[in-house]
Amino acid sequence: MSLKLTLHTSPDVPLEAPCLNPDTLAGMTADIVAAQKVMHGNQAASVGDFFKVAGKANGTLELEGDLSRVKYIGAGMQSGILNVTGNVGQHLGAGMSGGDIRVDGDAGDWVAPEMRGGRVTITGNAGHLVGGAPRGSAIGMLGGEIIIHGNVRNETGHAMRNGLIAVGGTSGDFTGVNMLAGTIIVLGDMGNRSGAGMQRGSIVSMNPAEMLPTFTHACVYRPEFLRLLLLHIRSAGLPVNDDHIEGAYDRWCGDVVEVNRGEILLLNGA
Amino acid sequence: MSETAKENIKIVKHATCTFCGCVCDDMELTVDMDAHKITKAKNACVLGRAWFAEHVIEDRPAAMVDGKEVSIEEAVEEAAQTLVKARFPITYGLSDTTCEAQRQAVAITDIIHGTVDTTTSVCHGPSGLAFQGVGESTMTLGEVKNRADFIIYWGGNPAEAHPRHFTRYSVTPKGMFTPNGKKDRTVVLVDVRKTSTAPVADIVIRVKPGKDFELLWALRALVKGKKVADNIEAITGVSMDTLTDLVERMKNCRYGVFFFGMGLTMTRGRHFNSGALLALATDLNEFTHFVAKPVRGHGNVTGADNVVSWQTGYPFGVNFNLGYPRFNPGEFTTVDTLSRGDADAALIIASDPASNFPKAAIEHLHKIPVITLDTKETHTSKLAHVAFTTATYGINTGGTVYRMDDVPITLRPAFDSPFPTDEEILTAIRKRAHELMLAKSGLGAAGGGGTQKVAAPRKE
Repeated sequence: MSLKLTLHTSPDVPLEAPCLNPDTLAGMTADIVAAQKVMHGNQAASVGDFFKVAGKANGTLELEGDLSRVKYIGAGMQSGILNVTGNVGQHLGAGMSGGDIRVDGDAGDWVAPEMRGGRVTITGNAGHLVGGAPRGSAIGMLGGEIIIHGNVRNETGHAMRNGLIAVGGTSGDFTGVNMLAGTIIVLGDMGNRSGAGMQRGSIVSMNPAEMLPTFTHACVYRPEFLRLLLLHIRSAGLPVNDDHIEGAYDRWCGDVVEVNRGEILLLNGA
Repeated sequence: MSETAKENIKIVKHATCTFCGCVCDDMELTVDMDAHKITKAKNACVLGRAWFAEHVIEDRPAAMVDGKEVSIEEAVEEAAQTLVKARFPITYGLSDTTCEAQRQAVAITDIIHGTVDTTTSVCHGPSGLAFQGVGESTMTLGEVKNRADFIIYWGGNPAEAHPRHFTRYSVTPKGMFTPNGKKDRTVVLVDVRKTSTAPVADIVIRVKPGKDFELLWALRALVKGKKVADNIEAITGVSMDTLTDLVERMKNCRYGVFFFGMGLTMTRGRHFNSGALLALATDLNEFTHFVAKPVRGHGNVTGADNVVSWQTGYPFGVNFNLGYPRFNPGEFTTVDTLSRGDADAALIIASDPASNFPKAAIEHLHKIPVITLDTKETHTSKLAHVAFTTATYGINTGGTVYRMDDVPITLRPAFDSPFPTDEEILTAIRKRAHELMLAKSGLGAAGGGGTQKVAAPRKE
């Protein structure tokens, strides 16, 4: 039986709980898990003050309840499975390097900032700076996958260097801003200024998008890698249809104020 | 003349006006000491004259708890108890008080493990983010006066917001390398409409609303000699000819300056707008000397940035929940901590968020204990649990403020106020909060003297 934590008392102020990841809780009994330290605002508290703990850790951690005030869930995770039923707060999976996080609900801002590997799936919406860089850092996610079924807000993939972000819904402004490399796929609309300051990498959308004056149209083609990626995210449950897979794409190059090696691919004739 | 001789008149020379970020320090105030009024403010602009002339000593209690007058000591005790009890206390405001008071406010936040944020987060906070992300090519206004021959105002209206900016620093003054004043300078205004700054400008560029980033990005590309989209005029409302002319002028000037306002920082794109302008200034340094400076609003908002940076390492939106400073605008900025309902107590100094914050944030302010320090009754002080009335900085209290170019300036007060200063109240709260925190952690007694008890062994 996996370890299951059910929220019994909602925190009044933000709860910082980086210990809520399968690695940290590995091998612990319910009593020890309940004694783990969390920060309730500026005061130390324990997991048991907020969660009912059942089962024993075996690499899979189940969380249940509205955790939208709980920050840093799954932060630094290296392996194992973390399933959340309910919304989660900011900094989900911050700096994670492996393992699988699945949230049946919405996520706050900064989903998996500085992620290095593993996978995050959000069935609902996510906030700003998905897979981005924390303020003051020049590099965002370095690897892994983030799959968001709903919508995301601004600065998705800010300064990302590698990995994949796939969004089933729409994205806000500055998608892939200052991107160094990696891939962002948005099946819905993107906000404005996508790819501003990007050096390399690919941003893909199935809808027309407003392009910055520093991007130039290169060609219309059917990129082979994109079919593979689209089939992959379809298998992850995103609504990719055959037109997306078979279709041709407009390729825009930019950003000319940087090295001009990035690309934005927009489904032709959409 | 005979009339003035009868009155108890005091002249204060080299006084400082703390109304806006220009912090003009050449005021000559005529003070009627009997009436406690400033009757004349020589050298002041229209805003400064109003600032001095309309200053009156309020007829209010110095301290109130839940709307009832109490002694200052009782109010300090109540404020300290409230803050120490809180799990997520926030400190906000600070832009209209002295650096000495700001320093105490940061110390309180550190002691109570709270979150400190200033009004910067709702004005040039995005520029603060951009400085961190892009860097800043900077100067003092004295340099501008003496050297600058190409001035660009972007997204600001100094003719109305900073009336003496033109005459003291940027347009008309005669400087070391600008001996002919305005004749030696080219002034450009970039804005979405023809504001009252436009008559001062040699070139007025009207950008489509919300397209500043696109325009700046196109300028960056042109400065680097790269191609931009042919439909640039359709996108930004500015023709390619105007852009290429501007780029040539920028590259060929001797000393160029960008002054930018909230037209950049508080429109769609925010920190990326400021960042684009700062990056453009950096790019231009390949050809000539170019600098950029935000034109700051409140009298000592620049001081708030400086003091919070000096004490915590970050300019605003700093959290001490874990005992050390963490910076994250969006997570720890006041609009966000209030709108999300995170904060459970607020210490608000010289600011009125209840009059200008988003609805969700104001609603949350009504739910939590609020402590205010202000010179007048405000929407925030009306909802406050503890409200202090304090003396007005620059008029009734001395201290230090920072001009918008990070130059510290000393205040010369005109006359005394019956109210205590922000610094005095905050120092008292800090001392009491420190004692209470020590008592909470078992290191001192809550009855008083906790500070001394801990300090004494260290000296030995």
